[in-house]
Amino acid sequence: MSATAPSSPLLERRYARLGVLLIAPTIMVFSLVIVYPLLAAIYLSLFSIYTPTLDGEFVGFANYMELLTGKAFWNSLYVTLVWTMGTLTLQILAGVGMALLLHQNLWFRSLARSLVLFPYFLSTVVAILVWRWLFNDLYGAMNHGLMQLGILDMPIDWLGSMPNAMIGIILVGTWKYFPFVVIAVLARLQTIPEHLYEAAKIDGAGPVARFWDVTLPQLRSVLVVIILLRAIWDFKEFDLIFLLTGGGPVTSTQTLSLLVYQEAFGLNQMGQAAAYSVGMMLVMLAFMLIYIRKTAREI
Amino acid sequence: MPFLRTLAFNLFTWTLVLLIAFPLIWMIITSVKPQTELFRIPPTWWPETITFEHYKRLLYETPFLIYFRNSVVLATTTTMFVVTLATLGAYSLVRFKYRGRDTLALLVLFTYLLPSVVLIIPLYLMMVAIGLSNTLLSLILAHTTFALPYALWLLRSFMEGIPEDLESAALVDGATRMGAFRDIILPQLLPGIISTALFTFILSWNEYLYALVLVNSDSVAPLTTGVMSMLISAFNIEWSLLMAASVMMSVPLIIVFAFLQSYLTSGFGAGGVKG
Repeated sequence: MSATAPSSPLLERRYARLGVLLIAPTIMVFSLVIVYPLLAAIYLSLFSIYTPTLDGEFVGFANYMELLTGKAFWNSLYVTLVWTMGTLTLQILAGVGMALLLHQNLWFRSLARSLVLFPYFLSTVVAILVWRWLFNDLYGAMNHGLMQLGILDMPIDWLGSMPNAMIGIILVGTWKYFPFVVIAVLARLQTIPEHLYEAAKIDGAGPVARFWDVTLPQLRSVLVVIILLRAIWDFKEFDLIFLLTGGGPVTSTQTLSLLVYQEAFGLNQMGQAAAYSVGMMLVMLAFMLIYIRKTAREI
Repeated sequence: MPFLRTLAFNLFTWTLVLLIAFPLIWMIITSVKPQTELFRIPPTWWPETITFEHYKRLLYETPFLIYFRNSVVLATTTTMFVVTLATLGAYSLVRFKYRGRDTLALLVLFTYLLPSVVLIIPLYLMMVAIGLSNTLLSLILAHTTFALPYALWLLRSFMEGIPEDLESAALVDGATRMGAFRDIILPQLLPGIISTALFTFILSWNEYLYALVLVNSDSVAPLTTGVMSMLISAFNIEWSLLMAASVMMSVPLIIVFAFLQSYLTSGFGAGGVKG
C-alpha cells in the first residue's frame, strides 16, 4: 500500500513517524468528540441522572433491567423494524426501477436525473415542511389531488392516526432516500459490458429475461452494500420521523432514536436514555460488523 | 412503431419524474401565492396572482437572515476544519505504514455508521461542563462527529485512486514527502477534495438534531432549528412564509446542483458504495 520502497530502515522509520504525525490531529479530535463520548455514554448508563440539574447517583444495571423488562424499548424496537423494513423495501424497488428508466435514452435525461436526485440532498427540515403542508388535512394538496383523481372520497388524517402515520413516514422516507439507490445503481449500470447484453440477445432473451439473467446478477454486489448501508442509516433515522410525527400518535411511530431523545430531554432521565442508546447500538452492531467486514476485505 | 414506443416511454418516465419533483414544485408555487389564495378549497394548482410579499416579510420581519448567517458560518467552518484534517489523515492512512493503521481505518468506518443519539447525551454534558453550550463553536465540534469520519472515508477512497508512480518518481528526484504531497498529490486530489467539501457542507447545512439539543437562542440558531421554530411558535401557521423560507434555505443546494453536480455524483462512487 505504501507509496515507495524506502531505501533504508532509517528512512522507513522517518516516514512512519511522519505518517503518525499527519494522522495525530485526526486522532485527537476523534478521541475528544467520538471515543470519549462513546465511553461516557456507556458509563452514564449506569447512573440515574435528572437532566435539568444533572444530579446523578449510581444505580448499577437498574437502567438495563428497565430496558429488558419495561415495554418502551421493545415497543420502539418493533416500530423501528417496521419503519426500516417498510422504507428500505420501497427505496430499493423505487431506486432500482428509476435507475433502469434513467439509464435509457430519455429526452432531457440530465434534467430528469437532477430532479430525481434533488430530494436526497435537500434538508430534512425543508422536506418535512413541504410534506406537512402537502399532508395538511384541510388545505393539503395530497387529499385534494387524490380526491380530484377519484382515489379518495374523504380527506384523510395523514399524520395524526394509525396506520396512516406509519405509512406517511415510510412514504416520505422513501421519497427522501431512494435517490441514493438510484445514484449507486446508475453508476453500476454504466459499467456493465455491452457484450453481455449482445450475447443474451443472440441467445433469444427478451428484455425481461435480460434483466433477470444479465442486469440483476451484475447488480448483486452493489445492492448488498446499498441495502446494508441504507438499513443502518434508516434504523438510526431521527430528523425525518421526529419532525413529521414526533413519534405520535402517542408512541406508535416512536423509533429507538426518538425514544432516546424523549427519555433524555422530554422525561429528563439521562441515565435511562443512555442505557437505551447503548441497547440500540448493540442491536445495530450486527449490521455494522457485517458492513465493516465486507469493506475490510478490500482494505 | 419505434417512435410511438419512444414517445410512450418518455411520457411514462417524465410523469414519474414530475411526480417525484412535485413536492418541490408545490413548495415554490405555495411561496408565491397570496395569503388569501392559500386557503382556497380545493387549492389552485397554479397561482392566480404571483406575489413576493412572503419573501420580503421573511427577510425584513423575521430573524431568517440571522439563521442564514449562522448556518453559513457553521457549515463553512466545519467544512474547512474537517477537510483539512481529513486530507492529511487520508494521506497518512493510504500512503504510510505504521502500527495500528488498519485498526484506525476500521475505527473510522465504525464511527461513520454510529447513530448520533448515542453521542448526543455525553456531548451535551461536555458542552455544559466546558461552558460552550449555546454557542456556534459547540455545534462545529458536534458536527465534526459525523463529518470527520465521512470526509476521511471519502478522501481515503479518492487517495487510493491516485497512482503511486508519480510520487515515487518525485521522491527519487530528491523531493521530501511533504514536498511531493504538495506538488504531486494535492493537484490530483483536488476534485476529490471539492467533492468531499461539498458533501460535508451539505451535511452540516442540513443537520438538525445537534442544533436542537445544543443551541436554544435565536442569535446562534442555524436555519434548521430556526425555521422549525417559526413553525412551532406561530399561532396561525403561515405556510407561504415557511415555503418561502424553505426555498431560500435550498438556494445554496440549487447552486451546487446547477454548477457542480458532477462532483456530487463522483463522491458517491467513492463513498463506500463501491461494491
